[in-house]
Amino acid sequence: MPGIVATSEETRQDEVRYTQARLVEVACLDCLARVGVKKNSDHHTQIQWSSAALADCAEFRRAETRPEGRDVKAACPRLRASIDAAVQSGEIVIGAEDGY
Amino acid sequence: MADVRVLDKGTAPDRFARGWHCLGLVEQFKDGKPHAVEAFGGKLVVFADSQGEVHVLDGYCRHMGGDLTQGSVKGDAVACPFHDWRWGGDGKCQGIPYARRVPLRARTQAYPTAIRNDQLLIWHDVEGSEPDHEILPPELPGLAEEYTDWTWKVVPIEGSHCRELIDNVVDMAHFYYVHFSFPTSFRNVFEGHMATQFMESKGRPDVSGGYGDAELFLKSEATYYGPSYMINWLDVDYKGFETEVILINCHIPTGPDSFTLQYGITVKKPEGLDDDTANYIAKKYADMFGGGFLQDVHIWKNKVPVANPLLCEEDGPVYQLRRWYEQFYTDAADIAPEMTDRFEFEVDTTKANEYWQAEVAENLAKKAADEGAEMAEA
Ligand code: FES
Ligand SMILES: [Fe+2]
Repeated sequence: MPGIVATSEETRQDEVRYTQARLVEVACLDCLARVGVKKNSDHHTQIQWSSAALADCAEFRRAETRPEGRDVKAACPRLRASIDAAVQSGEIVIGAEDGY
Repeated sequence: MADVRVLDKGTAPDRFARGWHCLGLVEQFKDGKPHAVEAFGGKLVVFADSQGEVHVLDGYCRHMGGDLTQGSVKGDAVACPFHDWRWGGDGKCQGIPYARRVPLRARTQAYPTAIRNDQLLIWHDVEGSEPDHEILPPELPGLAEEYTDWTWKVVPIEGSHCRELIDNVVDMAHFYYVHFSFPTSFRNVFEGHMATQFMESKGRPDVSGGYGDAELFLKSEATYYGPSYMINWLDVDYKGFETEVILINCHIPTGPDSFTLQYGITVKKPEGLDDDTANYIAKKYADMFGGGFLQDVHIWKNKVPVANPLLCEEDGPVYQLRRWYEQFYTDAADIAPEMTDRFEFEVDTTKANEYWQAEVAENLAKKAADEGAEMAEA
């Protein structure tokens, strides 16, 4: 039994729209990771990982723990470069649709 | 005619979140008395045994419902004020002084505890699982030697569900409108039981209060470890004076639309400063961040819950944050991969900052003109 429930079908559609719409699969140029990417503008980036992709990311495995107890891995620079390349090649089209 | 957007207020969660919840600094519970803490729709009793170990039980006696928080500590047990039944830290009844023997079933609910960063945490799960020590928040290195004592505050909040507080993690624009700062850089990462906000911001020069101050720069990294315990590392630059501040932001749900917010501040003692001065700085920052929470509280108290927020391109990933948060309200066996899969989001703050800079410049010009007029009148 889930905890927080939307009461309308439209809300359910919004959940799908905001979390899944227009994600483009990008393969990392340096490892086996494949992630879903969306870019609403040059500066905006959304990256959806899966546990398989995360296990594949060589960079993250190296950076397993950070000092000072902060164990959140900020970002993978290699994936970032791969996303830039996907933008260059036109695989990722930059631009938003009605706020998502 | 375009369709009118309907606010879906959703339904409130039917349970309290699974995970570690912080009850405050552990030291306060070691005075040999039972303490009452409102939590999870009821009341807990917290007490220390003769070894100084702190225990947490349901607050109501299983005999006839006496309020254990009004009892007393006798030996290693808390004694009920009604008929003196003695309850041990493991939840078992240790004795009934007037009875020949203790019923075998005399066992009450005991919450597993852990101490982190001088604070008492308890494990809560409606499914009654064993506590997961793997997902405890981290110990802060050097806390005892290099940092000031905690300045700790407790703020009961009525009329909002604690998920309103969680939304702050992704809410870029409210930092300008509610907290009076410009977020110049804003990123989120969710992964497993953690949700993080990376933010750089500077204070607004046109307003005071909150973080409003032209000479205040913050570099902030804030992570929720589970549903209710956040560590916020802040590099603060105030008038060129740099301070490392750690803010704990945690809460205990107390009812379907109430919770107790707690926050603590410690400051890394700057080299060459005596403890009194360092503590004074910590107090000042506690006031500032405390003021920040009160700004949020005012909004929460007056808003409605919304299950279907309508977002623009400059907003953070509200839906994904809630998807992450949902894992704590789901039976462990039913947690979907997307609730815990890593997710990254970088907000584009360019347009927002352009507009805000212009607005602030206008406000400053207006202020200067008003002051000029007042001078002329005088
Ligand atoms: S109700 Fe607690 S001892 Fe009787
Ligand atoms: Fe806020």
